[in-house]
Amino acid sequence: MSRNRAFRLLKDARLRASATSVGGTSSRVGQTVTRSADLASAHPEGVRHVSLQIVQQRMKSVSNIQKITKAMKMVAASRLKPAQDKAIASRGMVTPFYKLLGDLPGAETAKTLMVPISSDKGLCGGINGNVVKVSNVLLETAKDKESEISMDVIGDKARGLMQRQVGELFANVLVDATKQPLTFGTASALAEQVAKDNEGKALIVYNRFVSAISFKPTIATVLSGEEYEKSAENLENKFDSYEVEGPDRGEFLLDLAEFKTGAVMYNALAENNTSELGSRMQSMESSSKNASEMLQKLTLLYNRTRQAAITTELIEIISGASALEDAK
Amino acid sequence: MSAAANSAAYWRIAGMSYLKYANACAEIVRGALKEPHLSKARARDAVYFKATKYVKGSPEAAVITEVIPAEIPK
Repeated sequence: MSRNRAFRLLKDARLRASATSVGGTSSRVGQTVTRSADLASAHPEGVRHVSLQIVQQRMKSVSNIQKITKAMKMVAASRLKPAQDKAIASRGMVTPFYKLLGDLPGAETAKTLMVPISSDKGLCGGINGNVVKVSNVLLETAKDKESEISMDVIGDKARGLMQRQVGELFANVLVDATKQPLTFGTASALAEQVAKDNEGKALIVYNRFVSAISFKPTIATVLSGEEYEKSAENLENKFDSYEVEGPDRGEFLLDLAEFKTGAVMYNALAENNTSELGSRMQSMESSSKNASEMLQKLTLLYNRTRQAAITTELIEIISGASALEDAK
Repeated sequence: MSAAANSAAYWRIAGMSYLKYANACAEIVRGALKEPHLSKARARDAVYFKATKYVKGSPEAAVITEVIPAEIPK
């Protein structure tokens, strides 16, 4: 249930309680009843107070939800630290590639492969939405430059969010990689698919982990082997300033492009996973807070209503008794 | 040309990509470890994901790729 709706329900319930306690007519009660279906059933025409049983049920369900959100927060918090270490360690793998081959998100290529990375599970705040937003902007830019676009989507959430609008651009969808702890093997299996589909440049969009409360949507660019060769010829990267032993430049750059895809993918998955945990921790904390606020208000409502019912019954008994006394 | 370069050509001819080759090598290196490092490293052999190919916006059958780390003989 959304927070706003819950609060509206509470407001209605309180309004009704106050309307009846000052002797409001049932017609006014009837008006408010139509606005909220849940508590309305507990509050039929002519009944003065909100049903205690229903409030009690609501309190129970709210506290159960709070237990779940608290547990989810604890789980995310305990997984965060190892994931963070992994992500930060993996940065050391990609920086040398950027130093050697450069980061060229604006490289003009005939074909562009978009790779939005998202989580497989929800309830983790806005991180997946951010990736999708950035990807959509990149798609527009690529369309303007008349580059042919295809997409390899990683993670179930981005698939769900993007399928309706740009589903026809999908080439491959890779999900459930987060089911097991991330390994370089998994990352490189995904990267292999990406490298296969990459016939120009691949733009990998993910959330870079900054701190437990801050994640930056980031674009990592990987060119194909041929594009790296072109940019080496145009002196856009420093490859030719090194003396290397081994196969010719084309083959070497092909190997490097593939390995870079793997390294970038590993880094991006690790960072995104860490951001997911951080974001989940944060959103579950605020959910728990909302639940406890709600519980407080419901408890107040419950106690007030109970008190009001007792008072009314007492008045009835006393006035009945005094009426009998008068009759004597 | 160095030996590494020659072998690089061979695995390309055999249809392997660099990443496949690198991972195959890594698996062998991990397998050469001794306990207690072996069981820790073996866990990193694991691969799991589900791939679905899309043609014109509609999904085809999903393919699950799973590599379960080999059991360590006692």
